[in-house]
Amino acid sequence: MDLDFYGLLGISPHASSDEIKAAYRRIARRLHPDVNRNSPGAAAQFQIVTTAYETLLDSIRRRRYDEEQERNRAVKNNMYFTLRVTPSKQSITPVGDPQVMYLLTEIAPDPRTREEEQKRESTLNLTLVLDRSNSMNGTRLDKVKVAAHQIIDNLSAKDILSVVTFNDRPEVIIPATYVTDKPALKARVSLMTAAGGTEIYQGLSAGVDQNRRYLGPRLVNRVILLTDGHTFGDQERCLELARTAQKEGIGISAMGLGHDWNDEFLDKIATATGGTSAYIDSAGAVVRFLNDHVRHLSNAFAERVGVSIAPDPDVQLELAFKLSPNPQPLEIQDGFIPIGSLQANRPIMILFQLQIPAEIELGFRSIARVMASGDVLANERQAFQALSDISTEVVAEPLPDDPPQSIMDALSKLTLYRMQERARDALDRGDIAEATRRLENLATRLLDMGEEELANQALAEARRVAHTSNLSDRGSKALRFHTRYLLAPATDDKPTAGTGTRQLE
Amino acid sequence: MSIVCPYCGYQNRPGILFCEECGKNLQVDAANATLPTRKIDDGAKDLAAKATWGTARFNPSSSILIHVRDNAEPIILQPARRTIIGRSDTSSTQKPDLDLTPFGALEKGVSRIHAAIERSEDTLTLIDMGSSNGTHLNGQRLIPDQPRVLRDGDEIRFGKLVAHIYFK
Repeated sequence: MDLDFYGLLGISPHASSDEIKAAYRRIARRLHPDVNRNSPGAAAQFQIVTTAYETLLDSIRRRRYDEEQERNRAVKNNMYFTLRVTPSKQSITPVGDPQVMYLLTEIAPDPRTREEEQKRESTLNLTLVLDRSNSMNGTRLDKVKVAAHQIIDNLSAKDILSVVTFNDRPEVIIPATYVTDKPALKARVSLMTAAGGTEIYQGLSAGVDQNRRYLGPRLVNRVILLTDGHTFGDQERCLELARTAQKEGIGISAMGLGHDWNDEFLDKIATATGGTSAYIDSAGAVVRFLNDHVRHLSNAFAERVGVSIAPDPDVQLELAFKLSPNPQPLEIQDGFIPIGSLQANRPIMILFQLQIPAEIELGFRSIARVMASGDVLANERQAFQALSDISTEVVAEPLPDDPPQSIMDALSKLTLYRMQERARDALDRGDIAEATRRLENLATRLLDMGEEELANQALAEARRVAHTSNLSDRGSKALRFHTRYLLAPATDDKPTAGTGTRQLE
Repeated sequence: MSIVCPYCGYQNRPGILFCEECGKNLQVDAANATLPTRKIDDGAKDLAAKATWGTARFNPSSSILIHVRDNAEPIILQPARRTIIGRSDTSSTQKPDLDLTPFGALEKGVSRIHAAIERSEDTLTLIDMGSSNGTHLNGQRLIPDQPRVLRDGDEIRFGKLVAHIYFK
């Protein structure tokens, strides 16, 4: 099931060199940078396909590659993941206008793992970066200590832990170490005291440094940042650091506690590394949320998962959003978009929104190539890849074609998140009337769906925007994160108090 | 030709499924759209529990129905361990188990040995046999020689010949 060079080119292992050339030309017409100036996905995939082509065209290199593949296939029990893409429609009709198509992409672990792997725990290289600024004083810091203690209790002696606290400066209270002497580690956490301001870069940088010490390809390398405050002047450096960490194989999850932190900034840090961002609105929810997050990390089947989409040259990628697990907006500037972990028991679901041009010819045509890559932790050899080539039929008369229920269901909720995003965009442009209208529409939809509390919050924010041209700190976060959590299935974790069923306390 | 939202009148691009202005489902017909308290999402929650795709479980004793587009009569088939699909050709000695010639296979670019359906314990898989024009499963092109699991209701395309498969 491994995607080899032949699979990348869509040819059989017995293909002649003419067939290889023809296949490469066919793909290059879709992926070449000259026809895809603004598609990082196409550029990344073109490079991969070109490597495959050059290897197979050279008979000596091809033989060497075939022999290597033969040896790899001999390795028993190699695990893989599957990539399945469902388009919102099977055929399209030219309508004289650009039209939209959605692709629901599912990355699922090897079905054989369902039983075995669910119990098998992956090994963690975990770093906690904890805010101990003045505002953390009292219940917040107490809860963070409880959370850290429970995390230590739940880790095994194979796992690696480091803990960094920060205010204006960082302090490594637990340098990266195997979790063997749990009482000693817990004692060090207990000594945390609150003082000073919040400078995230300092803490994050010390945390990433600790994580690097044990960085490994078969580990879940993850930094969890927990803060309750704004950081000033160092946001760009933080993002730069996050991007570097991602390239090295470290994911960063960013959790904001309370209402006084920069939601957009923490979102960006998490998105850049395939991590998760979250809004924890009360100190009481910290313990459960952090523990759940770590538990999910230890259930990883594959790490450093990335997905790449190369729309055909005339097709435009408009949006990428991770629906599950942990709904998260994705940045589309990367050739491979970092997604983070693939858990053994929960597939990754991503929705892409594409625009198809007004001018399309009748007949069959390709739409996009989607690739997924990631390190399957159980395998010796890493960097597994999967490919899906999507095509559709352009017909003069529309065929009866209902969009798949899974896409309808995801979009009914994602639309709400998009509505608050558009309200925010309008506000940024200074269009108060539009922002107010969009928030009112959002409130109406939320009410229709029975989300009364969130609807009232949206309505309150609409009024507030109309009067003050600003969202409240609390409302801004509630709208951004709680509309997102609507996408999570009922059994999924929502870091708001009282909505979860699993309590570790 | 934009889609006018029946609730708010906003003009959405074709293909948009939920109105970009008011967030409502554009898939419902206009007659129902005026009911103000219509709760489409209650239904959606129940449906979410159902499987996204048709079942992949295939009872080995049952048969499959292959519906070739624009043909009223389906092909009914009791799949063997391996069923070769293609088109017969006088110049070739190998004959496919399922011959698509009567369905315009030649004009539609079906290879002589195009694909195969393999039956295992309780699943069916589709394999492209290195065909010239490719085999597509639900719009995704198959990589030659790599089996993909078939599900009830899947759309298969051999070259330009479109068919749907149903388990019976």
